[in-house]
Amino acid sequence: MFQFFSDALLRAADLALIAVALSAVYSLIRFPNVALVQYAVVGAFLAISLQSAGLGLVAAAALSTLAVGALAVLFNLAIFERLLKVESSIALIGSLALSMILSAVFLLVYGPTAYRLQLPVLAPIRLMGVRLTTWQLWTLGLSVVVLALFALLLLRTRLGAEMRAVATNAPLAAATGIETRRVTNIVVFLSGMMAAIGGITLALRGSVSIDMGTNLLLPVFAAAILGGLGNALSAIVGAIVIALAETVITNTNLGPLMGEAVWFLPASYAPVASFAILVLFLLFRPRGLFVSEVTRV
Amino acid sequence: MSDFLIHVASIACIYGMLALSLNLQMGFTGLVNFGLIALFGCGIYGAALAHVMGWPLIAGLAAALVMAGLLGLFFARLGRRLSSDYWGIATLSIAEVIRITVMNESWTGGAQGISGLTLLFGDLRPWDGLARLGLFALALFATYLLCEKLVRSRFGLAMKLMREEPQLARALGHDINGIRARVMLISAAIAAVAGVLYAHYLTFVGPDQLVSADTFLIWSMVIVGGIANNRGVVVGAVLMQFAMAFVPFAKDLLGLPTDFVAAARLILVGGGILLFLLLKPQGLLPERVGAGK
Repeated sequence: MFQFFSDALLRAADLALIAVALSAVYSLIRFPNVALVQYAVVGAFLAISLQSAGLGLVAAAALSTLAVGALAVLFNLAIFERLLKVESSIALIGSLALSMILSAVFLLVYGPTAYRLQLPVLAPIRLMGVRLTTWQLWTLGLSVVVLALFALLLLRTRLGAEMRAVATNAPLAAATGIETRRVTNIVVFLSGMMAAIGGITLALRGSVSIDMGTNLLLPVFAAAILGGLGNALSAIVGAIVIALAETVITNTNLGPLMGEAVWFLPASYAPVASFAILVLFLLFRPRGLFVSEVTRV
Repeated sequence: MSDFLIHVASIACIYGMLALSLNLQMGFTGLVNFGLIALFGCGIYGAALAHVMGWPLIAGLAAALVMAGLLGLFFARLGRRLSSDYWGIATLSIAEVIRITVMNESWTGGAQGISGLTLLFGDLRPWDGLARLGLFALALFATYLLCEKLVRSRFGLAMKLMREEPQLARALGHDINGIRARVMLISAAIAAVAGVLYAHYLTFVGPDQLVSADTFLIWSMVIVGGIANNRGVVVGAVLMQFAMAFVPFAKDLLGLPTDFVAAARLILVGGGILLFLLLKPQGLLPERVGAGK
């Protein structure tokens, strides 16, 4: 039972960082940036490359995180700001195109093989009958700390208040003297950093290959939409629901239903759980769990 | 070499039909469909199903049209309450669910797919390639005429009004849900026919033909050719298809590693979309605004 919860919790932590980043950016510029999942892959690959270039683990991770933040701002200024002037769905298509180009760059630079960070082997820990590696605990702790810091920033600082003001009513916020463009770019920078940390935590627990971004795309979107896009912190709840659903669907013995003693759904169906939840939600509660917005046409 | 050109031109005709289908949805009605490949998949698996059951080709076409129609209506139903970006993600998710299911079930042939479908005009050898190209070109031309007629009709005006000002369209008494459902049905039928032709050309059907990357390839054809211009998207389909087909030759010519082919195709599609959106958003042949002749 605890094994089940620890699996789900680790998965939720992976999804939450990127889903919160996606939702936070959406709240300001009103388009879901698909390329964020690829920023996570950039973060992981960059950290691995920097480490093999001789940097320490912490330095490599920190440098890669900052670099991805800067990259996110660069792409926002060069591509998305211009596409958003046309329409938000055009910007969405642009972000898909950028994802494809990033995939191509990964393929050319790293090839199809999987990469790992060089990590010292640490003894696993037993906690209430569950075997957890020390690195799993570290990544979980890191995710929780980053999410808590972001929540503090959003709810307790002046910048956070400005962010919420721009998200609620951008023209009004601009009229009160908030520099909306600066606030937006800070959030984009933070979103890039959070995506990179999400990628690095995955690299800390296993290997990274070029299809990591594509595999993350729909679960992350499902989590963000479940929480209500633009409602950054509730994306955490969305991530927990998706992670639980994925873990339940692959760990439940469906034998009695199928008329057999033991029958498990193949693990490849795990993503189907999150997509199915996503589609059901879009049908019945398209604004997510917590939002009550006026329906757009 | 000429066999190869006939092959590429045949595939380009099929993709031209898919580009016209997407253009009806996205170009004229503003429906951002990222799951187009699933409608095409209904076509190829309809043909495959008929093959497995021993039905004639025409029954496969009927099965394909029914499946694609139902899926199109489901997409349209989802669109009732969603804004375009949510709908895009929803359609992408459904296409992925369908691909994963097809890959894991045994009645669809699983990951191995279904092979041995009858080849169209197989008994006309050595002229079968040309005969097929003729048929596909005819199908493309018929689709083009249908789309042109549709967008120039009163219904076409309603589609464009729904794209530009959905609230105004509703205020003027247009049934937005009805328009969406009809556009989805028509474009699903086009995609299904393209799928049946494709399946009886390759004679093999598998889940690899359902990947979302192909949806984005069709998107690039529409964006490069010219959003909401039927002639433009056919030009875009031919250009992109030939560009994709010649990537392996460029690889051999320059002596590059095999990963280059996949990467170059991703860059062609992604880069094509981004460059045109940023520099020439109206595409090669811009939409003709006005009543037309």
